[in-house]
Amino acid sequence: MTQQDWMKDAPHPIRSVLVANRGEIACRVLRACNEMGLESIAIRSDADYGALHTEVADSVVHLEGETLADTYLNIDAILAAARSSGADAIHPGYGFLSERAAFARAVQEAGLIWIGPPAEAIESMGDKVTARRRMMDAGVPVIPGQEIVDSDDEDRLIDALVAAATEVDYPLLLKASAGGGGKGMRAVHEPKNLQQEFLAARREAQTAFGDGTVYIERLLDGSRHIEVQILADLHGSTVHLFERECSIQRRHQKVVEEAPSPVLDESTRLAMGDAAVAAAAAVDYAGAGTVEFLLAPNGSFYFLEMNTRLQVEHPVTECITGVDLVEQQIRVASGLPLPFTQEDLTIRGHAIEVRIYAEDPSQGFLPATGPLAVFRPPEGPGIRLDTGVREGDVARIDFDPMLAKLIVHGSNRDHAIRRMMSALSDFVILGATTNIGFLSDVIAHPAYRAGETDTGFIQRHYPKDWVAPAPSDVLLLIAAASEHLGIHRKSVGLTAVNDTGRTTPNDPFQRLDRRYP
Amino acid sequence: MVDLKMQDGRIVSVSVGGDPVSIVKILEDGEEIIPIVGNVRVDSRPSRIVIDRDGVESIVHCARVGDRWWIHLDGYVHVVDVIEPGAANASDAEGAFTAPMPGKVLDVLVPEGARVREGQDLMVLEAMKMEHRIAADRDGTVSSIYFQTGDQVDAGSVLLDFVEDE
Repeated sequence: MTQQDWMKDAPHPIRSVLVANRGEIACRVLRACNEMGLESIAIRSDADYGALHTEVADSVVHLEGETLADTYLNIDAILAAARSSGADAIHPGYGFLSERAAFARAVQEAGLIWIGPPAEAIESMGDKVTARRRMMDAGVPVIPGQEIVDSDDEDRLIDALVAAATEVDYPLLLKASAGGGGKGMRAVHEPKNLQQEFLAARREAQTAFGDGTVYIERLLDGSRHIEVQILADLHGSTVHLFERECSIQRRHQKVVEEAPSPVLDESTRLAMGDAAVAAAAAVDYAGAGTVEFLLAPNGSFYFLEMNTRLQVEHPVTECITGVDLVEQQIRVASGLPLPFTQEDLTIRGHAIEVRIYAEDPSQGFLPATGPLAVFRPPEGPGIRLDTGVREGDVARIDFDPMLAKLIVHGSNRDHAIRRMMSALSDFVILGATTNIGFLSDVIAHPAYRAGETDTGFIQRHYPKDWVAPAPSDVLLLIAAASEHLGIHRKSVGLTAVNDTGRTTPNDPFQRLDRRYP
Repeated sequence: MVDLKMQDGRIVSVSVGGDPVSIVKILEDGEEIIPIVGNVRVDSRPSRIVIDRDGVESIVHCARVGDRWWIHLDGYVHVVDVIEPGAANASDAEGAFTAPMPGKVLDVLVPEGARVREGQDLMVLEAMKMEHRIAADRDGTVSSIYFQTGDQVDAGSVLLDFVEDE
């Protein structure tokens, strides 16, 4: 492939990129490569045969195996795939190996370009204790908290726990020191629940990350989760691209994200932006990263953590700034300077993203599975869909239950809300339970519209499970008429699905329904 | 005549006919009830029908997967189950606890025959690296346990049988 014009002055030109990921983020990054004239290379496990991301790529390398350890987490196999496909750079996406310093190092030692921050920056920010110390040194405010290093001596562990809890004070939050993404996270409001919740958090931390060390910090009730996008190049320039608000969460996982925040005043926005740039500079950051803050009801904010990768919710920032973050990641990795300064960046309009999960909001948000017999996303001005699936695919249990992200951009927050309500109402997914109806109700909720989006939103407004609208008798007419008209015999999806929910793409005798006319 | 089960558990027998299709007869508990006003015709695109309610037409997406109709109506998805003739009227096993999601059994917290109190945790499941606790919703006795720590379970698998206190 010939070198692209935009890269002619780059110190480390890139011709082809292997994306070490799957699902919607692999599609997103592979498309960016295609647009930039780079050869795009996907990887896939056995189970991802025919997955959307493998079709977006110019070529695909098959990694043998079904488990994550054999495939998307297998550093040796991914490096071998890069060699065999002739890739000269690797983009990790988010999740999987994206925040493993060892992977960043292995990529560079293999003579490949790593499209991500320096391994040292990942290490400093990945360890919550180190990150905290570095931030305190850099003058970035932090939340009161302590780490309970795992040990086999349970009695001493509990003593240390009780002492730390007393000092940090209730209510408090337990989380896996090595982790993120809500895994191993538990809130404790009273001392009597401390021990049980701690043991559960330790067990989850052990299972998810192989390290039972638990971090304990003050839970700031009524606070908002606000994060600042930053971009840094290899020439010492760091800018922030304003904030995103991600306060609507369930089980400490984000559900609704928006930019800009509905509550931040201009002076706090500037102070937070400066703090984020200082945080990034303190670890010699390069590439795209996100500095997360908690904004307390009294207006003070605290450093939470820095995510040293592209975020799931990056599209809302792209909408309001007009900057393609993946394009910038690739340019930075090739050694090019950022093409803009802080003064060039402004906020245009308002963007909202919702995460479409295969899960049941009326059953405690438990993951759901099933064939995507119908998958018809909304269309129209200001609507963007980042999806990893399409009609005929199957929502499976093996990976994260997120199917897609729906993003809207409007001229202001109210406009974006109305656009999102309409888009959600038009989004049809049949065959697997999703959270779309729940999201519609959240976005239409008067408290959301009023911008009252603190992290307790779902707990407060949906203390019990979400209740779907009551079934109307019209459904009886629709079901009976559809049955009578044989709609199911006219609507076989692209891919056949058997009873176990596995696709069998080559079997013409399997159909979406089990009845044969 | 087709027997349909609504999400709220109601079972209704519906007979339709005509072109466009409308309700001919509708029975609940053997009694005739007031038919739903409206009619339905096929749309030119797959998985869609057009419903006419009092002269107002709207497009409804629907798909049948297994014995279940998935229906997207006015922005929300509903399901209606078809009860096939001859199929046992499978009501949920009384007094049994079923797995709410596919996953792995992390821990079994009580032995068979244990007397437990309302709210007591019985079993811990894991899916997507998240823990989910199965707790007794009333006082009673765990009469049988069907899985051990480390076992994989499917959604809907009966985990344990439970006899409520009198």
